[in-house]
Amino acid sequence: MSKRLSITLLTAPAMIVLLGVFLIPMLLMLLLSFQDENEAFSLKNYALFVQDPFYVQILWRTIRVSIWTVLATLVLGYPVAMYMAQATGKMRGIVTMLILAPHLISVVIRNFGWVVVLGEKGWVNESLIALGIIEQPLRLLYNELGVVIGLTDSFIAYMVLALATSMYAIDPSLNKAASILGASRVRTFFSVTLPLSLPGIIAGTTLVFSLSMSAFVTPALMGGTSVKVMPVIAYEQIMATLNWPLGAALAFLLLGSTIVLVTLYTKLIETKRYKEVFAS
Amino acid sequence: MTKVIDVELRGIMKKFQNNVVVQDFNLQVEQGEFVSFLGPSGCGKTTTLNMIAGFLDPDGGDLLIKGQRMNGVPPYKRELGMVFQTYSLFPHMTVAENIAYGLKLRKVGKAEMQERVKRVLELVKLPNVADRYPKQLSGGQRQRIAIARALVIEPSLLLLDEPLSNLDAKLREELRDELKRLHQEIGVTTIFVTHDQEEALSLSDRIVVLNHGFVEQIGTPLEIYNQPASEFVHTFIGKTNRMEGEVSGVEGERLTLRTKEGMTIHAGKQERPFAHGQKVVVFVRPEKILLTDTAGPGINQVEGQLQLASFLGSYTECEVRAGGHTLSVKVQMSDRSAEREPGTQVFCQWNPEDVLVMPAERG
Amino acid sequence: MKKINILGLITFLVLVLVNLPFLVIIPSSFTAAGYLAFPPEGFSWQWYKMILDRPEFIDSLWTSLKLAAITAVLATFLGTLAAFALSKYKFRGSGVLNALMLSPLTVPSLIIGISALLFFTRIGIAGTFTGLLLAHILISIPYVVRLVLTGLSSFDYTLEKAGYMLGAHPLRVFWDITLPLLRPAIVSGMIFSFLTSFDNVTVSLFLVAPDTTTLPLAIFTYMQETLDPLVASISSVVILLSLVFIILLEKVYGLERLFGLNSQSH
Repeated sequence: MSKRLSITLLTAPAMIVLLGVFLIPMLLMLLLSFQDENEAFSLKNYALFVQDPFYVQILWRTIRVSIWTVLATLVLGYPVAMYMAQATGKMRGIVTMLILAPHLISVVIRNFGWVVVLGEKGWVNESLIALGIIEQPLRLLYNELGVVIGLTDSFIAYMVLALATSMYAIDPSLNKAASILGASRVRTFFSVTLPLSLPGIIAGTTLVFSLSMSAFVTPALMGGTSVKVMPVIAYEQIMATLNWPLGAALAFLLLGSTIVLVTLYTKLIETKRYKEVFAS
Repeated sequence: MTKVIDVELRGIMKKFQNNVVVQDFNLQVEQGEFVSFLGPSGCGKTTTLNMIAGFLDPDGGDLLIKGQRMNGVPPYKRELGMVFQTYSLFPHMTVAENIAYGLKLRKVGKAEMQERVKRVLELVKLPNVADRYPKQLSGGQRQRIAIARALVIEPSLLLLDEPLSNLDAKLREELRDELKRLHQEIGVTTIFVTHDQEEALSLSDRIVVLNHGFVEQIGTPLEIYNQPASEFVHTFIGKTNRMEGEVSGVEGERLTLRTKEGMTIHAGKQERPFAHGQKVVVFVRPEKILLTDTAGPGINQVEGQLQLASFLGSYTECEVRAGGHTLSVKVQMSDRSAEREPGTQVFCQWNPEDVLVMPAERG
Repeated sequence: MKKINILGLITFLVLVLVNLPFLVIIPSSFTAAGYLAFPPEGFSWQWYKMILDRPEFIDSLWTSLKLAAITAVLATFLGTLAAFALSKYKFRGSGVLNALMLSPLTVPSLIIGISALLFFTRIGIAGTFTGLLLAHILISIPYVVRLVLTGLSSFDYTLEKAGYMLGAHPLRVFWDITLPLLRPAIVSGMIFSFLTSFDNVTVSLFLVAPDTTTLPLAIFTYMQETLDPLVASISSVVILLSLVFIILLEKVYGLERLFGLNSQSH
């Protein structure tokens, strides 16, 4: 059997699925987003975005929520990754398991758990009232805070994975080298660990940002009707209003702005020196 | 007595894209012979072995095994044994299962299979590891099992692809002797690929020295060592002192040479004729040079200063600055001179018969 | 030591937080009260019995299990074949093909869902099980390809050569040597595909018909209207099911390795 034939036979089945369920549909969706009600070519779906401040507001909220999520996952995830890098054998295994396993359980269920914890009659509010710290329940859900909490829970595993990968690659003897040269632990952290984990930080932040921007389930369940983000608006256009061209355009606008922001961010942070140090 | 030819390469050629990696390879391997392909990496030795095994097809020439033309025959129909550098034991099978795999494919009966596995394990002196998994064995043990797996199917030809390269020095020597013993016991026709000249010299009936896809020389270890066909063969086979110069005198079979640095060297009979004034390269092996404290009777004699002495166990490697050259000299431990300090004045002597003269390459 | 302790403390806190949903859901599901409360009031199986009276949950559970199982088998089959081609042969365009195989990972599920809906409507399979299945296979293929490629990257191809030299036909070599050695990667690809499909909401959202919804989607829809202990009990069932597969995955392959964390370093 010739090499070319083998390659074709082996890859064709997956390629057919890829073409028929992904590439062709995406192309179709892109074309559709440039159509008006009469199926004529039009930029009006995209123009609407510039004209109507409503959509700009929604996009800005999506970005804001995503940035908060990135910061929260980074602040919480960094110590975890550092702990994992320092821990040995069994302990590292347990931490890894406990951070990754929840990630494999449906986000709907995790969000539901948070609703029980954070709701008006939830555990947090009931406890605080019982302790006499507050009188009225705090509003922890169905606002941006709730969405950020939900997204942080959803995506912290990705952040920890990215950070841990870069930290495992740091030679532990570098810490010793820094100490022997007289650097304190804090100093060692800022002059060795932090700069060398930069690739992990960049990978983690861009990944969590992209995921947060396009997250649908968590904003829908934990933001409710008051915190609408781009994916929710796009969903409504597709499934409720049945304005498919607009829904498609909104989804692409979201994807486009995510790509632009991520590109700008990495351009800004990946200096010449960074590229030289971390060139593969 | 007629010789039986087990393997024959007739003008074998192989190219990758437009790169010729093996050129006009001709060889006949007799039954029971142990032949080594020796050369640096990229010389074409492994490519040639892969063609014999059937993993590559020659782009020119014919390959015959037991008189049958083998071009285009897939490896699994060639009935050969092969041992790889990385052992390549199947990690999910026990030692016994690994060895029995080839027998199973040949539908050998269960009782006979067990008997043959047992016998071959005894042959490689590992009778008690049958139920272990490869990763429970040491590197040397794994390679013995790999040899057993190749031998148990009684192949018409055994191919060894740098089987000793992944082992550390001591084990390598041990397994080298083991290979020699096995070959003497079973007498299976063997082709052995290596980049290590010592392995090739000690194991082989004949050596094929390859360089850049060309066969530089085919000969017995002694021929390769003493009568190298080219400068490459001589330098590849061991450390040497190389001096450039010209022929300053021809008296019958004896030559007088003058190096560029002005040293005079007398040489004995050479393979090739040389003419007066011809540009030449002169070689003397470090182990052929004798170090003495006082001048001796020899005609090749030069006074110099010991510069460096590296003690290497059974011998000491010395560097002597003499006659404008830095000569490398190997001094056996039994020689008292091994204890000399750097800086001492010494004499270097060597026999004219140990001087090798080659015409200088043009250009 | 002091630094480790602070890190350890934060780590412990984060681990509690990410597992908090489950620590809350499971106890709440046993509440004897008629409303959601944590800590639960009393103990009762009533909300589990209640599931049996809700055909939409039972049916959607079956749909989800069936969907996940078929997705796992087919995605693993297709992904494994493709990974073999990509690993074994070096050819022009193999880099592009590799990127293509992984590309569904880089595009948001939202867009995959919408585009599939648009296209499936045109060819008439929107709202069918087939359409849903195809989309789930699509989003699972990249994981299988990646896992099997990782498995193959550490696979020693001279083992195949050794097999040929012993007289085994290529198919025999594949069956006796290659496949058994890749089994962990393939099996974990299958389990991961199962979980990917079983957990998915965003893609399914656009492709299900009202009568053939998946379980996570049924919970999603139900949750948006009612929050009662029934959600807790059905969620506990899903958690338990997922846990079985997660433990299986840990045993077969190891989660650390699955997510590309090299446990040998350090």
